[in-house]
Amino acid sequence: MSMLSALAHVQATESMQAVPLTAFRHRRLSSRPLVIIPLVMAGEAGAPLAAMVGSARRKGTLLVVAQPRNRDQRFAFAASLGRTVIDYIDSFRQGRRGGGGHSRYPDTPQILVPNHGGIKALADLGRMCRFRSTSGPHAVPDVVPEFGMWLTFLVDRAEQAGTSMLLPVTGILAEHWATGQSTLEDQNLASLMAWIAPPAGLSVEQAMADAENPDVCPPAGPATSPEFDNRDLAPAIKRFDTARTLGDLRALAAAESDLRELIAGQIQPTWRMTWEAIALLRSVPEAPRTIKRFERDCAAFTSYSDYRDSGGLPQRKRDTAIGAAQRLGWLERALAEFESDMAFDDPFVLADRRSAGEAFAGTVVEAEPSRTVTTASNRRVPRPRVTIRTQDPVRLAADTKLLSPSMPSGHKAVIVSVLPDGDATLVTVEVTGGMGRARVPARGSVPVPDQRIAYLPDPGWRPAPQFPGSDRTPWTHSATAGETGADPAAPEDAAAEEWGNED
Amino acid sequence: MKAPVDDRLDALRGSAKRLDYSARSLAALENNPRCTLRALLDASGSDKAAIAAHAGHPSPFGQSAFALARGNVFETMVKDNGCAELLRLLRETLQLTLPEVGYEDLNDIGGDGRAEVRHDRTKQVLLQAARGNGGGTLFDHPMLCLPVGGHKAFLEPDLVAFRIGGRFHVVEIKSFPIIDGQADPTQVRAATTQACAYIIALRNLLARVGIDKQAVSDTIVLVAPKDFTNRPTAAFVDARKQVAALSRQLARIERIGDLVDLLPEGLTFDLGLDKDKRARRPAEELAEALDQVPATYRPDCLNHCEMAFYCRSRARADSSLDVLGPAVREQFGGIDTTTMVLGLAQGRLTPTQDQVEMAAALRHAARLRAELNVLGGAE
Repeated sequence: MSMLSALAHVQATESMQAVPLTAFRHRRLSSRPLVIIPLVMAGEAGAPLAAMVGSARRKGTLLVVAQPRNRDQRFAFAASLGRTVIDYIDSFRQGRRGGGGHSRYPDTPQILVPNHGGIKALADLGRMCRFRSTSGPHAVPDVVPEFGMWLTFLVDRAEQAGTSMLLPVTGILAEHWATGQSTLEDQNLASLMAWIAPPAGLSVEQAMADAENPDVCPPAGPATSPEFDNRDLAPAIKRFDTARTLGDLRALAAAESDLRELIAGQIQPTWRMTWEAIALLRSVPEAPRTIKRFERDCAAFTSYSDYRDSGGLPQRKRDTAIGAAQRLGWLERALAEFESDMAFDDPFVLADRRSAGEAFAGTVVEAEPSRTVTTASNRRVPRPRVTIRTQDPVRLAADTKLLSPSMPSGHKAVIVSVLPDGDATLVTVEVTGGMGRARVPARGSVPVPDQRIAYLPDPGWRPAPQFPGSDRTPWTHSATAGETGADPAAPEDAAAEEWGNED
Repeated sequence: MKAPVDDRLDALRGSAKRLDYSARSLAALENNPRCTLRALLDASGSDKAAIAAHAGHPSPFGQSAFALARGNVFETMVKDNGCAELLRLLRETLQLTLPEVGYEDLNDIGGDGRAEVRHDRTKQVLLQAARGNGGGTLFDHPMLCLPVGGHKAFLEPDLVAFRIGGRFHVVEIKSFPIIDGQADPTQVRAATTQACAYIIALRNLLARVGIDKQAVSDTIVLVAPKDFTNRPTAAFVDARKQVAALSRQLARIERIGDLVDLLPEGLTFDLGLDKDKRARRPAEELAEALDQVPATYRPDCLNHCEMAFYCRSRARADSSLDVLGPAVREQFGGIDTTTMVLGLAQGRLTPTQDQVEMAAALRHAARLRAELNVLGGAE
């Protein structure tokens, strides 16, 4: 967090309302997102309790597992949720554009969950489903492993900065608004919405108090409130179990509809609030460079889609050494680019970086527009130098490559020197690109005296790191022969994973 | 020397029954060691949940019956048939060579479940084992005792195993899953801290008869469900750092007298319980008493301390930066309140010598935000 964002939080505290942190929404919002609100049972490992799913506010479907400890019911749930999600994903696998190896689907699915816990719940569900076998003693419907693999793909992709195929709504809200509460409390959708848009007739204080009262605002999941578990849910599940043991069909139907009603009462407020949050986010303009990241999402979606069509294997349980290193490399690169893109698009984010000394803006006080140098290949090229006077606490060193949101695209520069000048700083930069091919720089491609200009570091192009092939991994980095998970083709005990507490 | 401090602590608690430290409240020590209010409430054995509720900020900590049931079922399953499943794990998963194995149930001694009796028996068998002439290798629910600030706290580990490499090992059975070899780090940490209290208590017991602390390993054995199954798996967790941290905090409780000395005379958190256990003391009076003791609120407290909601409302009333959490706080080193931050940012307050740099940075940041608002802002 920078000083500027911290100050925004203080301002929010003082004014008792959320204040904007960015000018734009840096995440793409699909015109047809699929909202999933997953609920899990407390204490069980990834035992789904219920989910509400749908791609429009009025079209939510509630799926409930009456006895989450029962394996068959769990997978019946996974299959019906899976069918909805796979149908949704399939609806984007059409209208492919472009030819040859570069053709792509023009749009991607987008799944929105209320909070980070929702992503964790989907990750667990994906892990639970993707190795299931569709034949043999513990067979599950075909859609279950397919669903598991897609969920795992989406969860992995969500780790990458700037992507928008699977997002927590609290995350997008907190990227755009600063509240007068901590990051921990911002994870609570109701608390966060209390600051941004309190319900009509309520003050922020009242809305915050309501948000933390599970009887007014049930938790957005994935865990339900312990009071609800003990007071309502446990007796209801017990009635269901008793009816089932006795084989009393009427009591069973009654118990089941009771359970649905109880869970609906817990999940519907979150469902409504999630759609309110989405509507609110639509009112924030989308940042220009979001489209560039969206195209990458399209490429990733197309390529995974093709991989699935070719009958690809489920993702392995643990990355190999090379896979992990590659993945880390991608994640780092995506983060650097996302940060730079945001600062380029958004004056708020740029100001944020400026307050931390990672970017600067000021007025050109001196320019040498006709300066040229001779390159190693004996070519004379323009290398104009300009000096900028800035009040920002610049912490960039000489030789840092720069980009500028205030110059025509393609403009590139490098820092020559950073010198203090009273309470300001003089930064001299050499323009290295974006001046056209002529001996003389194109008009408007070099800053002129008295011009206001901002610069930020260029994340630049980095070659993809080279790693040895999988058959040439040194012994220090390869899994030992007996270790499980080394062979993705044979996930151990895939079908027969034992399931406890069956009744 | 000790007596007056104890008297003062008793006076703080008032008429309520003394609550002893449990492994959980000891673990809380590690989460926010610098909080005076928590230190005093714990040391005096006050009922934090009741006090917070009476002061108008009931704590939201309930445990789901599902989680409890799952925990119990899992523990029973691991310990069934003289810990057969556990032994399989120790041998197969952790590849230990355990020759002959005994099992000693210390849950109650001949039907007597009193802590003192169980502790005496525990002491007897553990010391025998340490001296090499006890048959037991696995001790189920031994009752350990740790003096904390001059008071006995009885602690009950799930299991203590002996002779894994000739040393005692604390075995912690938890019902959160280890999925593909990875478990939730916060849960592992909480489990480890809890186990640290057992390690320290066990070492204490042995030290009294001159057995070196090396006899108790500072590696704990964590047993938890594997993946999504009910089958257990086990892992070693290195607890050296947390043992050291908790030992340090325990030593600090011994010096609770220093904290007590700073309190005004006659301060008490007594709820004035009547014979129906209803609190009769006016809530404002209680809040006033609480307000006299400094608290170190952090948003993280909301996850584990019963007093957190009270402390948060107090921090809000004081416009403390603590409410916004460490990420915001660390940007404004040396400044405590939002009022001060804005005062310096808008140039309404004159910075002290130490604040000059911070004030300059703040004014710069405020200027940037003002420029943005002129530009039209986000909305």
